[in-house]
Amino acid sequence: MSEHGLPPKSSIKRWLVTTNHKDIGILYILTSLFFLIFGGTLALLIRLQLWTSGEFILSGSAFGQAVTAHGLVMVFFFLSPFAFGFANYIVPLQIGADDLAFPRLNALSYWLYLFAGLLFLISFFQGGSLEAGWTMYAPLNLPTYMPNPGASTVVGALLMFVASVTVSTINFVVTIHQMKADGLSLWNLPMFTWSILLTVWMMLIAFAALGAALLILGADHVLDTVYFTEVEGGSLLWAHLFWFFGHPEVYIVFFPALGVMLETFQTFTGRRLIGRKWVILAMILVTLQSFLVWMHHMFLTTINLEIKTLMMAMTIGISLPFDLIVFAMIYTLIKGRIRWTTPFLFNFGALVLFIIGGITGVFLGAIVLDYEFRGTYWVVAHFHYVMVAGGTALFGGLYYWWPKITGKMYDEYLGKMHFGAYFVGFNLLYFAMFMSWEMPRRVFTYHTGFEAYNQMATIGGFILGASFLIMFYNFYQSWYRGPVADGNPWEYSRTAEWATDSPPPLENWEGIPNYEKGFLEFVDRPEGLTDGGHGEDHHDRHPDHASIWPLTISLTTFIGLAGLMLWGEHIVYNTLFIVGLFATLVAAVGFAREDFYAPMPDWGARWPFEGIHKNKFGMWIFLASDIVIFGAFIGAYIFIRWGYGWEAWQTIPPEALPGLVNTFVLLTSSFTVILALVYAQRGNQKGLVASLIATFGLATLFLVIKSWEWNYLLPEAETLPEATIALFTFDWDPLIGTEGPALDASIQHSTYYVTTGLHAIHILIGMIALGYLAIRAYHGAYLDDEQPVENVGLYWHFVDIAWVFLFPLFYIL
Amino acid sequence: MASIKFYFAIYVALLLLAVSKVVFMELLDYWAAVGGIMLSAAVKTGLIAGFYQHLVDEPRAVTWVVLMAVAAVLLLASAATFSIT
Ligand code: HEM
Ligand SMILES: [Cu+2]
Repeated sequence: MSEHGLPPKSSIKRWLVTTNHKDIGILYILTSLFFLIFGGTLALLIRLQLWTSGEFILSGSAFGQAVTAHGLVMVFFFLSPFAFGFANYIVPLQIGADDLAFPRLNALSYWLYLFAGLLFLISFFQGGSLEAGWTMYAPLNLPTYMPNPGASTVVGALLMFVASVTVSTINFVVTIHQMKADGLSLWNLPMFTWSILLTVWMMLIAFAALGAALLILGADHVLDTVYFTEVEGGSLLWAHLFWFFGHPEVYIVFFPALGVMLETFQTFTGRRLIGRKWVILAMILVTLQSFLVWMHHMFLTTINLEIKTLMMAMTIGISLPFDLIVFAMIYTLIKGRIRWTTPFLFNFGALVLFIIGGITGVFLGAIVLDYEFRGTYWVVAHFHYVMVAGGTALFGGLYYWWPKITGKMYDEYLGKMHFGAYFVGFNLLYFAMFMSWEMPRRVFTYHTGFEAYNQMATIGGFILGASFLIMFYNFYQSWYRGPVADGNPWEYSRTAEWATDSPPPLENWEGIPNYEKGFLEFVDRPEGLTDGGHGEDHHDRHPDHASIWPLTISLTTFIGLAGLMLWGEHIVYNTLFIVGLFATLVAAVGFAREDFYAPMPDWGARWPFEGIHKNKFGMWIFLASDIVIFGAFIGAYIFIRWGYGWEAWQTIPPEALPGLVNTFVLLTSSFTVILALVYAQRGNQKGLVASLIATFGLATLFLVIKSWEWNYLLPEAETLPEATIALFTFDWDPLIGTEGPALDASIQHSTYYVTTGLHAIHILIGMIALGYLAIRAYHGAYLDDEQPVENVGLYWHFVDIAWVFLFPLFYIL
Repeated sequence: MASIKFYFAIYVALLLLAVSKVVFMELLDYWAAVGGIMLSAAVKTGLIAGFYQHLVDEPRAVTWVVLMAVAAVLLLASAATFSIT
């Protein structure tokens, strides 16, 4: 049976083209479990190696790679995607929506994630992967110091992962704000949805910072720039960029787990969360505070004591709202009547583990104590207690939602056995690490006095790993032979996902979910409308659920990135890059041209984002993340220049004039692009096409001036008149010359080329969009719907604004 | 939707502000010029974002999202730079 153009679930093709949130949720969960097994195997290797001090089953380099990959895989490719599997499946159900706001982008997120993971795996076969710890501290993250070729590929894989996260961030922000059922206010969102909402807002800022850090790192790898080798603060720069992302990241991985805990505690105690409003407020506070403590990871660097002290105070501050949340959970448990099911056990266990992890974190937040603890197994124990506590809650979530997703019940007895083995294994493993807190992390030679603890940990690790065999066996049995679960197998569940079938139908609901009366009811879908009276224009059209483009774009990006990161190593890589780049362009056009209908509810878009179309809203969310990327590049420049001595710095362009001319060019293009919008609104096709072409032309002029400046003025610094004559007499040899700009000549060169280069890439992408619009407009598009013109315009103005700051910073100051 | 005339007026203002940066550099001493230039960059940004990107017509919350991102990078840049003074 085919469901609205989607092949049946038994067909492989369905899983390649689906854009349905439940399918994608399942794909996320399965893929993340694959990475759990991969990261887990690495962990067991590490534990075996640590059975005794000194080289045993792994060489020094293999150990370094295993530790690095274990951390990166578990944090990026297991924990977060596992949580987002649930977010995909459950959040639309909890808010009473049919799907996410941008179903194709959702599929794109998934495929980018999968291929990013594959790229990571490939790095092991390229002569050594990254060997720098999951924090990737400089300068160990650089080829000069750690020349494994696969390390560059890892940077590419992580960049691709950041792209995936950015796309899904946009999707979830728009979805949760604009697709809630009628009458469902922000305050009344279920706690899991609240936790995801706050998670994606954190992701928006934090992952953009990581993206910037990785782009710069990528430049250091591929273009030989010298950001992180810079003596005056290169490695501090990495630490700042990484931890500005990294601290929020620990909440990003923890919040979804917290959401599962809050959800299951309510279901299995039969009580509404006590102090619900306060818990939400505390979570909002943590979201904001998470950006104010990052330097507590840098207490042993040379940052000044004032800022360390401030960060210590802020760190104490962030534990306060967490205390409130923990007490609210404990109080709910005390007041309610607990049913000791498997999901509850896992979540209760998670609470206990989290409390231990949180308390030991407060030790680390004290500067003096951290002088002692930094770089030891105390830290390793701490963050496993908190992060894997999150994992524990999520496994509870897997049991909790298993009947919803599969329509089958699992076996309670086996579930409890899994929990028992898990909990014992966990504590043997990680508590032993607290006991050996004087042992340095990331090296395998240790004082023999720690051997007993290490062996205890290794045994615990294997028990923990083995406990998952019970889980997989349980789910296997349940899937094939388990009793059928009805829509709501839990007596006191209170959220909307339990109000539909298990598993829910393709579009989730029979009627339309509605909360106008203060509780959930279903109103009839209007007669004769198959799509349930969705707003907007095409009333008779059914929503689409299949597209091949998300998979295609991800595949081509994968090819291109695999080539780019090792550009110049071998002709094969160069070819891959060029092929991948062009294929991605073609695929992107295919994506843009596809007529894909994903309706929005017409009551959607309420406070605080009322009356803004989802595409425009999504564009603004994207621009917010781009602001952080550009901001981080500019911030990196200011930081390095300050460390160098602000006024001692040599400005690279010898003349400001070309930059000023380019400023005029860009400002003019901003004016022409707004003209395009005006003409589109007035239905004036000639005006529209002409202004789009004019904008495109100005963008070209900008790039011509730019490349002329790059090639003639730098680094040889020929005179302006000479360069101009050369330009107009078509003496372009140097322009396409093989020398290339000297990006690695100095830190001044690196910052100038990389930052203006990032801007130039933005211009290029904008030109592709403008060219596309111009061609479509020439064929009559956009006269009755000017939205695409408006949204590309928003992007273009942003590129203009970026230049407003780059010009003075790099040319005249 | 505003008129072309209005957009043109903004365009002229933007050009003048762009020139002002170079003028500041010529006339003022270094740090005063830095202040002046950043001020005129901020005004330019306000004009472009407010009117060309018509943030003034969108729900106020969109402006807050943008300001939040700006605040984040200002925080990162200033606190990081302060940490090495
Ligand atoms: C009360 C709350 C917490 C406090 C006060 C706290 C404090 C700290 C401090 C100061 C460090 C740096 C230690 C060092 O490197 O010397 C640290 C490390 C770490 N924390 Fe926490 N933490 C808390 C909660 C969490 C949570 C909820 C998570 C994750 C879910 C987490 C994950 C981590 C990780 C991953 C590291 C290690 C980073 C590395 O590899 O160097 N922490 N914590
Ligand atoms: Cu932290």
